[in-house]
Amino acid sequence: MEIQPPLKQSRGYKIKKKFVANWQLYLFLLPVMTYFFIFHYIPMYGIQIAFKDYFANLGIFGSPWVGFEHFERFFNSYYFWRLLKNTLILNTYMLILFPLPIIFALSLNELRNGPFKKWSQTLTYAPHFVSVVVVVGMLVAFLDPNTGLVNHFVRLLGMKPIPFLTAPEWFRHIFVWSGQWQSLGWGTIIYLAALAGVNPELHEAAKVDGATRMQRILKINLPSIMPTIVVLFILNIGNFMQIGFEKVLLMQNNLNSETSDIIQTYVYETGILQGQYSFAAAIGLFESIINIILLVTVNQIARKVSDNSLW
Amino acid sequence: MKLRKGLIFIMVILIGLVLAACSDKESSGKDKDSSSKDENAVNETGMPIVDEELDLTFFANKPAQNEGNDWNDILIWNEYQDQTNINVKWNQISPDALEEKRNLALGGGDLPDAFFLSQVTNTDLLRYGGQKVFLPLNDLIEKHAPNLTALMENDPSIRKAITFPDGNIYSMPSLIEEDFLSLRLSARPWINEDWLKELDMDIPETTGEFYEYLKAVKELDPVGGGKTIPYGGTQIQEMVQWLSGSFGVMNHGPSNTNFDLDPNDDSKLRFYAATDEYRQMLEYIHKLYDEDLIDQSIFTIEWGQFLANASENLYGSMIFYDPIELFGEEIGSQYNSLAALEGPEGHKDYNKLSSSVWDTANLVITSENPNPAATVRWMDHFYSEEGAELYYMGVEGETFEKKDGKAVYMDHILNPEGDMTFEQAIAKQLTWLGSINGIIKADYFQGGESAPQSMDAAEKIAPFVPDEIWPRFTFTDEENKILQSIGQDVNNYVEEMRDKFITGDEDLAGWDKYVKTLDQIGLEQVVEVYQDAFDRYKEAN
Repeated sequence: MEIQPPLKQSRGYKIKKKFVANWQLYLFLLPVMTYFFIFHYIPMYGIQIAFKDYFANLGIFGSPWVGFEHFERFFNSYYFWRLLKNTLILNTYMLILFPLPIIFALSLNELRNGPFKKWSQTLTYAPHFVSVVVVVGMLVAFLDPNTGLVNHFVRLLGMKPIPFLTAPEWFRHIFVWSGQWQSLGWGTIIYLAALAGVNPELHEAAKVDGATRMQRILKINLPSIMPTIVVLFILNIGNFMQIGFEKVLLMQNNLNSETSDIIQTYVYETGILQGQYSFAAAIGLFESIINIILLVTVNQIARKVSDNSLW
Repeated sequence: MKLRKGLIFIMVILIGLVLAACSDKESSGKDKDSSSKDENAVNETGMPIVDEELDLTFFANKPAQNEGNDWNDILIWNEYQDQTNINVKWNQISPDALEEKRNLALGGGDLPDAFFLSQVTNTDLLRYGGQKVFLPLNDLIEKHAPNLTALMENDPSIRKAITFPDGNIYSMPSLIEEDFLSLRLSARPWINEDWLKELDMDIPETTGEFYEYLKAVKELDPVGGGKTIPYGGTQIQEMVQWLSGSFGVMNHGPSNTNFDLDPNDDSKLRFYAATDEYRQMLEYIHKLYDEDLIDQSIFTIEWGQFLANASENLYGSMIFYDPIELFGEEIGSQYNSLAALEGPEGHKDYNKLSSSVWDTANLVITSENPNPAATVRWMDHFYSEEGAELYYMGVEGETFEKKDGKAVYMDHILNPEGDMTFEQAIAKQLTWLGSINGIIKADYFQGGESAPQSMDAAEKIAPFVPDEIWPRFTFTDEENKILQSIGQDVNNYVEEMRDKFITGDEDLAGWDKYVKTLDQIGLEQVVEVYQDAFDRYKEAN
């Protein structure tokens, strides 16, 4: 009898055996891994231009290092605090409305399957397919102080027309609620799918026990889709700093910039339009870091509190 | 363990490949640099420019109006190729993608022989000039560009506009003939003469009279239903720049944002956006806006909506381009032009016009160019009479005819068949739409700006135009850094507050706070930078 070195070899052997036995699965995984590696990891070497003075002809590697100059410049900018404040408020505002599609999905789910349900679903999905430029065009057309439909009614009521598009106090509401109008229906899809998976026996049992409809929604439906809600919430947090920036840019003017000036529009105007790529990259990196911190924290909390988390 | 080792191995190889690919590019770039350039192969005068056919690749911005044509096979460039024996291969870029493609070309080692009308900024000219990517052209222009040199001697501001603090010239500019005022004015003020007559008023000569007119129009309400808009425009800035001449600010043109010459000391620049004169102007405009005499949607209006309003004839006055060309004969002909208004302190200037240097970077020659001397000569032709005629009018007998010694487009362009417009007919044979190449002269130009109504307006404005309109100054790398950060914040703040003061969102009583905030942002540094640039500008010859 030979004595085998027990642990080491057997562990490697196990992994190897697993790998050989399931090689098809690993093969399936390979394209995705390659994709992420090539298109999401390799390009990350470009992050270094945030710390460099980027010259296109010298390339990313050849440009001279400048350390944290671009970050300092951004943090010292007169507009920094305003940008940060606006970005945070706008995002928080949108995040507060996170439960809307859930409520909507729960109520849609209570409708009997029929033409009315189909219709209301289609109607609420439809705006999702309208391009941002068109939406802003519609906003401008409806809200114009002279020719807009809304202000027409305002005048009929005997009030002075409201400068919706130029008033800083209106910007956030218009931005967020027009966004809700666009995405509400679309946002319900995942929840509806999750609701379809709720075990009907639970409902039947609850009915027998005399539970009201409201009780069944709150005690059966909601807990059943809770994992989906948590995961989606965490994913939303991951995009926290990335608002639909095109729309802000399109809606922005000198008069409402008090509230509409956000980090991304600033990056676009001073970074991209003026060819200051390093500066733009530095601010982009700053945003990403905030996002990562938020994502990890929220995920941590979610895991502790609810057992549901991304990882 | 083996698995991890394998992974690491693969990663090392991949990274190695990436690095190799990058360094390859660099070494091949250097090879090209060292290749000898045959600069002798150019004829000093006359055509052809080179005896042996020369192939060049130009990176060119192709304005939207040219969408349907191909510059590699079009009358104008075919003709010029026959004349010069230089075969330009046009890499035509649409304006949306211009910036991105230009940077890719600069970054990818795939440099063209020259950038043509590609809107290379002054900052980039200096950056890449310093990197030897763009060639310094001082000597080449001296030797091979007699036409441009003559123009520069005639108007020293041209040379000053393209010379950087390091003494180098990296580009050949787009110019507007100094006397072709109509083109330098771009959008200009118009007033509805029919309504003036109805009100029994004369054309306003002072800011007070202008206010009276707007007020009277508002009361008269010729459109009905309160829909009349006494003054409208596509942006408020047009009005601010126009009225700056009535209040004595922006006295050397708009090219150096918020800076003009100190009226008390002509060795000093003045940041006019914090002066009392500027404040007075904002007060005046605020009054107009507050009394609903300015279109309330002027800050958000889109071009299309403006045209729609104008074609319903809602405007009592406006700042815009040729009305007949844009709104048609019936509505357009109601408009007469306004010139400068006399302000409360007696200023009566018209400062809203561009310098005769339209763009510094008409042509930028790169280090890849096999024959820079011939390229400079190729460009220089467009600064001459014949060159201007060729570019804007085309070929005699093909696109234009001489009538009483003046070049006029032929009938197939002026009255094109079918649905084709004038511009589409031009784009079939010529490429000037949407761009200024070489020098643009009134004698060889037939577009909206040379329409009778616009020319008439320019003539009325001419007496009020200041003697000297500055081009944009040139700055050093260090100065550019300040301008791009603090300078940008200052400009943003000024613009934002200007609009707020006008609408009344911000009370003009808070003026002191505004001035103080400017100091906080760092105005002093920006003033210093501009003063230095101005000192250099004055000294240069």
